[in-house]
Amino acid sequence: MSDVLNLILAHQSAPTVTKMIDYWSKCVPRDNILIAYGGNKSEFDAIDYAQKFFVDDARLRTSDHQREFQSYTGLLRATAAWIDNQSRRFDFVHFAEYDHLPLVNDLNPRQIASLTAERADLLGYSLARVDETNHPHFLYHSANPEFAAFWRRITCRADANVVLSIFGSGSFWTREAFCAVAAIDEPFPIYTELYLPTLAHHVGFRVRSFDEQQHPFVQAVGDATGKIDNARAQGAWTLHPVKQFWTN
Amino acid sequence: MRNLLRALALKLAQTFGARVVNSETGELLGKALIIPWRGKIHIIGLGSVVKPVFQPQKRLAYWKQEIVFIVPPKPDFPNERDSRKIDNR
Repeated sequence: MSDVLNLILAHQSAPTVTKMIDYWSKCVPRDNILIAYGGNKSEFDAIDYAQKFFVDDARLRTSDHQREFQSYTGLLRATAAWIDNQSRRFDFVHFAEYDHLPLVNDLNPRQIASLTAERADLLGYSLARVDETNHPHFLYHSANPEFAAFWRRITCRADANVVLSIFGSGSFWTREAFCAVAAIDEPFPIYTELYLPTLAHHVGFRVRSFDEQQHPFVQAVGDATGKIDNARAQGAWTLHPVKQFWTN
Repeated sequence: MRNLLRALALKLAQTFGARVVNSETGELLGKALIIPWRGKIHIIGLGSVVKPVFQPQKRLAYWKQEIVFIVPPKPDFPNERDSRKIDNR
């Protein structure tokens, strides 16, 4: 059985993070959960769980994420270092933000099966090719000439113009792809939803989308806390966003 | 106040604006105000990701061209991992 590291980004109070870990443990093995903590240090210290690390990265702690080019690169890098220090081998990494709720107790095997079926190195939600489109994040970045120049410089693909966008939470990676992308220096601030899938693509990894059936359950805005049972009944593997779930 | 006005303008654009259709499939992608202004075409209120392209013409015409909208296909690129290229970056 392949091991999946479930990387959860949280910033809530220590008791709430404990509640998260307990909930997640019903869906994935408890030992396969790693907490990346973006809250304050005293709360981090109070979390009674060994597999955790503190993220002290201004590029993660943005308030207007798109305009401030929020970055997960530091988070990926810290996770890759953590993986390297383990005696266990993780073959895959599943990344979820705190408000992305797993709904099935065999989540990781389902994700591995999807990744394998797609022959992909990275699976995500809302994956789209956005170059030459009206996609606001693409237009915002393409105003910087360095943006296109960077992809031309690093790509191993025939077409350096391809730009991909993916939803920030819920990505599922092979370990090789995750660590390779984490190892590359972000040349200047690029919003994470463009940077990670586009970088993975241009260094040669295959980026694909989760089954379309799952996409309605992973939305960017709103709060689906009241729709958990309904989503599960409709076949959802995960649900996002469920911001009120942990405080109810 | 500014956000309220913007939301109202968007609602109007998305209700009374021009229909934007995927020219390849005929699918309705949304409604938007399409306004030529100072040498640019401004698109207001469109919520879908689209790619504007000039429409191919079966008859040669020098006096008219059409700009239509398409939706790029879902990414389906093969794995082209080549460690030599990555290492030489």
